[in-house]
Amino acid sequence: MRDLVRFIEEVRWEDRDTGADEVFAETALHSFRSQCEAIPAYGAYARHVGRGPEEVRDWRDIPPAPASAFRSHELSEVPAGEETVTFETSGTTISRPGRVRLRSTRLYEASLSRNFARHLLPDGARLHAIVFGPTREEAPHSSLWFMVDSLVRGLCSGGTWVVERDEPRWERADQELKRAAAEKRPVLLLGTTLLFHAYFARCDREGIRFALPARSRAMDTGGAKGTRVDVRREEVQSAFGRVLAIPPSHLVNEYGMAEMGSQFYEDSELAAQERRPARAGFLIPPWVRTRVLDPETLRERRDGEAGLLVHYDLANLEVPLAIQTEDVGSRVRGRLTLSGRLPDAERRGCSLPFEEFLERERAEP
Amino acid sequence: MLAPLRGVPRARAGRAVTQGLFDAFYLPPNVEREAETTVQRFGPAHDSIELRLATVTPASIVTWIDALVAAREELLARKPAAEIHRVLERVAMRFLYPESPARRNAIAWLARLGRFSEPMIERALEDTFRPLTAGGVARWVASELGSAAVLDAPSVDRRGVPRRASGPEWMLQIYAGNVPGLPVWPLYSALAMKTAVLAKTSSQEPVLAPLLARTIAEEDSDLGACMAIVWWKGGTDELDLTAIRDAPAVLAFGGELATERIAREAHPEARVVLHGPKVSVAYVSGASLTRSALGSLAARAAHDVALYDQQGCLSPHAIYVERGGEIGPAAFASALGSALEELRDGLPRRALEPEQAARVQLYRAQAHFEEAQEKRGTRVLASSEGTDWTLIYEDGARFEPTPAYRTVRVHAVSGADEVVEALTPAARYIEAIGLEAKGSEKRVLAAAFSGTGVPRIAALGSLQSPALSGTHGGVHRLLPFLRWTTVEMGASKRAGPPRPPAKTRRPSGKKGKRS
Repeated sequence: MRDLVRFIEEVRWEDRDTGADEVFAETALHSFRSQCEAIPAYGAYARHVGRGPEEVRDWRDIPPAPASAFRSHELSEVPAGEETVTFETSGTTISRPGRVRLRSTRLYEASLSRNFARHLLPDGARLHAIVFGPTREEAPHSSLWFMVDSLVRGLCSGGTWVVERDEPRWERADQELKRAAAEKRPVLLLGTTLLFHAYFARCDREGIRFALPARSRAMDTGGAKGTRVDVRREEVQSAFGRVLAIPPSHLVNEYGMAEMGSQFYEDSELAAQERRPARAGFLIPPWVRTRVLDPETLRERRDGEAGLLVHYDLANLEVPLAIQTEDVGSRVRGRLTLSGRLPDAERRGCSLPFEEFLERERAEP
Repeated sequence: MLAPLRGVPRARAGRAVTQGLFDAFYLPPNVEREAETTVQRFGPAHDSIELRLATVTPASIVTWIDALVAAREELLARKPAAEIHRVLERVAMRFLYPESPARRNAIAWLARLGRFSEPMIERALEDTFRPLTAGGVARWVASELGSAAVLDAPSVDRRGVPRRASGPEWMLQIYAGNVPGLPVWPLYSALAMKTAVLAKTSSQEPVLAPLLARTIAEEDSDLGACMAIVWWKGGTDELDLTAIRDAPAVLAFGGELATERIAREAHPEARVVLHGPKVSVAYVSGASLTRSALGSLAARAAHDVALYDQQGCLSPHAIYVERGGEIGPAAFASALGSALEELRDGLPRRALEPEQAARVQLYRAQAHFEEAQEKRGTRVLASSEGTDWTLIYEDGARFEPTPAYRTVRVHAVSGADEVVEALTPAARYIEAIGLEAKGSEKRVLAAAFSGTGVPRIAALGSLQSPALSGTHGGVHRLLPFLRWTTVEMGASKRAGPPRPPAKTRRPSGKKGKRS
């Protein structure tokens, strides 16, 4: 664990695909072998598909656990009752919510703070955070709000949470934003795309605008998949500019999932800091590898070709490090571009899309 | 994206034009002259096709409805129903003749949409139109109304009471694009009861309905004056509401959000029938699992699974197989796998979008994960290559829709009770139960399954060919929209205080229960 933390804290971003590869490979194989032993369901799966600890020599052969298996099976090596946090998964298949139980959040936090600091705070600023979401206490099983809580405590000068008891309290956001604008004090906004979207719609209705000072910035997450409301990226960007005066260069989209200890960020803020144009996509941190597989044959695709995404995340130690998702995207030189949702918004016909069925099953406990 | 039309060959029903630009709308000729059109690309970016669309505005919707209602009054209301039905039957034939332009256009353009393979589309046309030929429409109408004559004038029913059926002046129809052929019976049902139609097609399949309307118009211009088939993006409030609010009748297919919205917005007195999302399942009894029957049984089950790549509400997602037959459920699963493998060539599936294939792969991986645990006897069988088909075998009944595209679960069960118990909580999502059984157990099993309230129980292998005389979603196709006029003038001697119901007059002593 200590070695892993150090690796995550110290591995150089430039090292991707070069020197760090060896360390990554060794560490991944080491984690994999111990996970096979400590997580019986996963070990059984690895052996069943002919890629148990005895067979696998290359990290690319580590069998990814299907993300849905977090719902159907116990995929944590932590004995029941010994966990300090339990994150519930959402968004992917199979009926009951999946659980990610962790005894230690050290790796998670190491990955989180290094990655976030680089992509949102490359200038080393300590800002007041306005969180468009609930506190960790109100959403104890959400990895997202755990993450935000940890960021606010570790990297910010303080925080204001806009959601309380499942209700957005827009007046709190108004107040904080107004103050920040008046005092010319840059702020950091953190939240889900959908909640920002709702706030902007309400500001548009009521003609509310804030001229936030330069160096204010925002991180939004989600909105791209798994939701019933389609929000186009350009619309989100334009609303941040219109309502808050935050330009696209200071808006960073995040892609993450409860099953993974690490996240992916756009490099817009970093690019602004480095005075260069932003590069498309989400940066894959050097302690993560993402393989892009042909969705029909599961053979590895070349850079730039779209396929299903399998992540290998060294921040996953107490749960399997390799995760098979149903997300589709492509990778170009260490950056990930997610494909949109299914092309047809009207794809639902009289046949029942099973994810919709399961979504409803979950809604009706 | 939008461009004016200039001298591009137009696909018309009268001749086969399978290249260039397709007119993905139909308006009566006098209305079409006034209509504005645009050209729009449909389908995935790398493989889109250009379709010419009528520009739809709230004002144009109102104009079209007025024109449809006027034409219906003038041309349709007094036309003998039997004549209309014969026209519709002739039109159905035109979609079956191999060389007819209507059929060639339908196949070419549906194939270019890329949602189904060509053999699948041919199969869909056959299955959809064949039952509507050679007296098929007349039989369908008679099965629901007793006789087509009630649509023309009061006609004596089985109890001797003269009555007449009137369809609504016009009807709004909203189609889904999940299976080819879906718009056909709805459009026929409206015209069959002398109702004008404004239809909104699906962006997934904006082709067949306009082609069908155009072919009908060529066969009979009076009917042609009473249909408007257009596309607009569902969820466009001003358009949706203009069309829905005043419609005297609505027949719509779609997801739950869309249908819930229609239910909210429709006129309180409108006759509304909504078909939301559903899937089907099947049951195979132990007695029917004999060595000699296995091949045909597996082939029929595979056919039901493969047809329309499981996109229809009649596609089985789970097959419950009873233990204790000459052949066990596991052997049935193997045979079904072989039959699905054969259909890779026989009835090819279309290529999936990466997102769809990724979902099937995750579902497969999950099944392998369960297989590895050796808990429920899970076994995964899959196509020799790609995601063409996936079969997941396990012990015990449960209901769980799959990601479709030929992904099916086979459950070994001890009997019907176990299946009824598993299906009951989900019954409202189930459209049909395919049933394979022998002799008298057929009745017993059908009775057991009918208790779940599932709308249709049909033989395995014909799940996807519902009888027109049957229901869709448990609702008849014509009856919900009709208004009845009964003529209770009777002989004067019947006047006076009503008699007790036990003495109702039945002319021939038949125990007819129709109302």
